[in-house]
Amino acid sequence: ILKTSRQINSLPKVQCPNHPDAILVEDYRAGDMICPECGLVVGDRVIDVGSEWRTFTNEKATNDPSRVGDAQNPLLNGGDLSTMISKGTGAASFDEFGNSKYQNRRTMSSADRAMLNAFKEITTMSDRINLPRNIIDRTNNLFKQVYEQKSLKGRSNDAIASACLYIACRQEGVPRTFKEICAVSRISKKEIGRCFKLILKALETSVDLITTGDFMSRFCSNLGLPKQVQMAATYIARKAVELDLVPGRSPISVAAAAIYMASQASAEKKTQKEIGDIAGVADVTIRQSYRLIYPRAADLFPPDFKFDTPVDKLPQL
Amino acid sequence: MEQNNSLTPFPQGLASPPGAMTPVMPIFSPTMRYNTGLTPQPVQNTNSLSLLEEQQRQQQQQQQQQATPQLYHSQVSTTTALPGNTPVHTTPLTPMTPITPATPASESSGILPQLQNIVSTVNLGCKLDLKTIALRARNAEYNPKRFAAVIMRIREPRTTALIFSSGKMVCTGAKSEVQSRLAARKYARVVQKLGFPAKFLDFKIQNMVGSCDVKFPIRLEGLVLTHQQFSSYEPELFPGLIYRMIKPRIVLLIFVSGKVVLTGAKVRAEIYEAFENIYPILKGFRKTT
Repeated sequence: ILKTSRQINSLPKVQCPNHPDAILVEDYRAGDMICPECGLVVGDRVIDVGSEWRTFTNEKATNDPSRVGDAQNPLLNGGDLSTMISKGTGAASFDEFGNSKYQNRRTMSSADRAMLNAFKEITTMSDRINLPRNIIDRTNNLFKQVYEQKSLKGRSNDAIASACLYIACRQEGVPRTFKEICAVSRISKKEIGRCFKLILKALETSVDLITTGDFMSRFCSNLGLPKQVQMAATYIARKAVELDLVPGRSPISVAAAAIYMASQASAEKKTQKEIGDIAGVADVTIRQSYRLIYPRAADLFPPDFKFDTPVDKLPQL
Repeated sequence: MEQNNSLTPFPQGLASPPGAMTPVMPIFSPTMRYNTGLTPQPVQNTNSLSLLEEQQRQQQQQQQQQATPQLYHSQVSTTTALPGNTPVHTTPLTPMTPITPATPASESSGILPQLQNIVSTVNLGCKLDLKTIALRARNAEYNPKRFAAVIMRIREPRTTALIFSSGKMVCTGAKSEVQSRLAARKYARVVQKLGFPAKFLDFKIQNMVGSCDVKFPIRLEGLVLTHQQFSSYEPELFPGLIYRMIKPRIVLLIFVSGKVVLTGAKVRAEIYEAFENIYPILKGFRKTT
């Protein structure tokens, strides 16, 4: 048994000669590895992996003395360990006309240049709508998978990036509407929709269906509605779908109509136009969906709702 | 039976070279000869398309918990009952033995999809001068900056044709195969009368669109959950569910109201077969309220 274990652990392993099973304790101040059983210093001159300098951020500090640079992102890049020579500082790096002598900084990683560009674009788009880091990471991963597969090679990278962003939001359980993604991207909704379907097919994944509740918190807080109204709107939309009052209507339209009904019944009344602006639906669409849920309005409100305007006084469009 | 080796008993167009994406199983069609002695075999190769077929068929089986819908039986029954189409064969093919034995426990739906549009192409066999055609023919429009073909329309059958300078023509809008051929012939005659030596080569129907109504509302959310690999339902993009059936290769647009549009067929039987396949599935997702 000992022989097989030695074959598996063929790498040289630092261990105490007297206590081979003891886990060594690292004393980083002295750079030693000490056996806890007998106190023998087994390995010395261990390389300290801490940072070289303790840099405190103050304004206008002189050059950052750290020589290691940013953390690599091996999952996303090609994982190249190539050396880059930066532009020189000091007078010696310029020739007589003022041009820098060493000019080669063009082809850093030509194979992944498009991918790096796309990641930058994804980060820019996500910052516009304040998406958290986990969604950005998921988007980057999706983009990398799609890019490596090359099945969507002909499509614009920005379109694929936007579609990946849409899919990532969906997968994380916080879907954004296509119109919201369009607002931060230069690609049309049609193209993003096409790329979305192609990517799902290429990666052989699927996404959950959107529900009305996914958008309530975002729309309501953008409109400045209090929590009571938001909860009422969520309840109304869910009830309306359960009672099948709005067959075939997009969940966004139903959500917008529910918000309209809830806000009109409360003290904070919002117009259809305002809701339409936030949700990205036309106000006629809200009107249509509202007409479908209006007849059963009394059943749709949650039982503990405080009406500012009673149900029979709700606007009838 | 080595289906891959003996290609000669196969009718034209059904031979599938190894490595092709088409299913090895022969598609039963009215043009198949009698006494080919072919019994449908279980699929031997394992390309992904046939796996998806198996999945689709298994899902249909699970859906019903009964014998699989008899694809071949139903096809036989529909080919003999086609309205508005001269039946090529009057008797059902006798040597056909279905895969699963016994009679189907579920009967056919009783609804026949109506054909709405047929797209066909034909080669007139000579180069055409579009400008003279546009100037001399009636009901022809030609805008070379917008599109490089003459758009001609006739009233009976009500169709539109795109006539290209290479001599090829696309005829759209007919409601049946016979009408499409007739309309294409009429366009060819028009071109012939204008002085071009038009022929009528390689008439081929490229696409057939049919629609029907199952008369009950459908729960699309349920359908997309169980048939994820074949369905795509994005209410933001399109209000209908897009169902891509593998065998036959038909795309169905299924709506909440119960209306179904079938497209992508090359022959009428494919539309009927696809509808017979989807009908039991849709019945399973009928809205109860």
